[in-house]
Amino acid sequence: MSTEALTLNNVTVDLRQQRILDGIHLDVSPGSFTCLLGPSGCGKTTLLRAIAGFTPLSQGDIRLGARSITHLPPEKRHTAMVFQSYALWPHMSVGDNLGYPLKLRGVPRAERKRRIAAMLERLELGGFESRAVTQLSGGQRQRIALGRALIIDPPLLLLDEPLSNLDAAIRRSLRSELRRLQKSLGITTIMVTHDQEEALQMADQIVLMRAGKVIQVAAPQTLYQQPADLGVARFLGVDNTVTRHEQDPTVGSRAATFGFRTRDARINEPLRPATLTRKGRVTECVYTGDGYQISLDTNEAELFATANSPIALGTFAVLQVPESALIPFGPDDRHLPPLDRHEDIA
Amino acid sequence: MTTSSSQVHSLAVPNRRLPRISLGMLLVLPALTAILLLYALPLARSLVTAFRDSSGAWTTDHVVRAFSLYGRDMLFSVGVVSVSLALIAAISIAISGYLVLGATPWAVRLLRWLYRWPLFIPFVVTGQIARSFLATNGMMNNVLVETGLMASSSAQSFLDWRGLVLTFAWKQVPFVTLLLAGAMAAVDRSHIEAARNAGANRLRCLFEIVLPQAAPSLWVGLILSLVAMLSVLSVPMMLISGNPTMMTAMMAHRITYYGDYGIANALGLFSYALTAVTAWVYLRLTLRREATA
Repeated sequence: MSTEALTLNNVTVDLRQQRILDGIHLDVSPGSFTCLLGPSGCGKTTLLRAIAGFTPLSQGDIRLGARSITHLPPEKRHTAMVFQSYALWPHMSVGDNLGYPLKLRGVPRAERKRRIAAMLERLELGGFESRAVTQLSGGQRQRIALGRALIIDPPLLLLDEPLSNLDAAIRRSLRSELRRLQKSLGITTIMVTHDQEEALQMADQIVLMRAGKVIQVAAPQTLYQQPADLGVARFLGVDNTVTRHEQDPTVGSRAATFGFRTRDARINEPLRPATLTRKGRVTECVYTGDGYQISLDTNEAELFATANSPIALGTFAVLQVPESALIPFGPDDRHLPPLDRHEDIA
Repeated sequence: MTTSSSQVHSLAVPNRRLPRISLGMLLVLPALTAILLLYALPLARSLVTAFRDSSGAWTTDHVVRAFSLYGRDMLFSVGVVSVSLALIAAISIAISGYLVLGATPWAVRLLRWLYRWPLFIPFVVTGQIARSFLATNGMMNNVLVETGLMASSSAQSFLDWRGLVLTFAWKQVPFVTLLLAGAMAAVDRSHIEAARNAGANRLRCLFEIVLPQAAPSLWVGLILSLVAMLSVLSVPMMLISGNPTMMTAMMAHRITYYGDYGIANALGLFSYALTAVTAWVYLRLTLRREATA
């Protein structure tokens, strides 16, 4: 089965009189990697489950390629989902887990055996056929779950926080492995994650969701540099916001607020032109590995900045942010200047 | 450091520990006494009695006579119990499966509420209900004749092995379903969803994903049902007139009319053996599964 485009049109889900998803529109091009990103409870997992057929829609339409799959039961949608808990069947061996989707499609035993062995080779788990899934490590389980999804050559791969149960080192290596595999297979992929770093590294397109709505759909770079509003910016690591002063740089002259990231703000460095500066008392100094994070109490807010060496608590310091790192927001907290139309869906 | 502190601890302990042990014993004692007096002792006595004649000498006479006199009843009991267990298993799987995988919420709720009722009805009442339902002029035949589904001339009594099977199933299905549905509900929801996502319809999900994981509870339910069916007296007494019948009825007959505890106990021996074999098979299955897991 070849990879296909996915189109969501006004997808709405209500559960017990509560609106979980509110009129979602989304176009996913064939072979692309899309991340659904957002805080817990924003509806991203519900959206993934709606695509897989586990959550009925109250309105709207889901199309895979040319056909509508809105009213099909999960088993007829031919999407392949990898669950957060991996959901490997404990009463089956590794080989049986991988082969079950093929068995359901009536693939003869010999052919099944061949494809299971090939998939295990590809996952670098060759010869694991007869192992019990309960004997596998977290990373190995994750690979088997992925293999079970991919073995049927699905038109659409759905990943529900597939890496969140793994420890940091394995997560990093699996991240690039997963991305490589997806690229080599060219399979349309949608991944749910609450980890912005993961989304920025892996996705072609990020769908940022909040309270059941899509707030912004953009490429990682655009999303990072031009978040649609202050809420999105905070979610993407813009920890600091300051009200604009007269002497501040002229970028986004209509801006009411500037946002900036802690790592872009430096402490006690020679003053340069076209920078935003604020003075305050140091209230905290924490070692972060590649420097020190300084908390600064200015008159209007608590700000965070980075320093190369520790700074004594209680002393006064000057924080400096280059103009290029400032993200301007209007009085309505929306990003300035207005985003391109095709990127601003909401 | 740790050794010295533990030594100090162990030196201080004896004074405190002794009363604690006797308190523990005291707590266990009532249960232990009850088991010994009310279960172990009568069981041992009945086993011994099965192999002793009236003068107290050891003999296999009772066992041989029990087999020659009641061989047919034993076979009948085994047959009825086997068919009942098959029926109980089939219906329990169907009900539990629907409770877990059913897609119509109100039907699932209704079924969940309905299926438990027979649990609260004693065997003797169940026997009475079955009598008035399954007899030649019983409710079942009346309904079939009234609705025109059956000619009144072809009405027949179900008060034979079929009646027993139906009654046992009616009484035991809720119990087994209660255990099985609980075990099925405990199966991780994502296992079911993963199977459906892989392309399994709900029936295949039930038999290939859910049931294999819940099977231990099904076996426990069936073994306990087997014990219940082999020990109930009221139902065969009320439903079956004449021979062959269940062994419990024959044991009661032997005791009430002849005061013959020897043969009654020899019959009981066969019941023990049957349940013991099943329990042994079950334990072997569980142990093997645990060894591979």
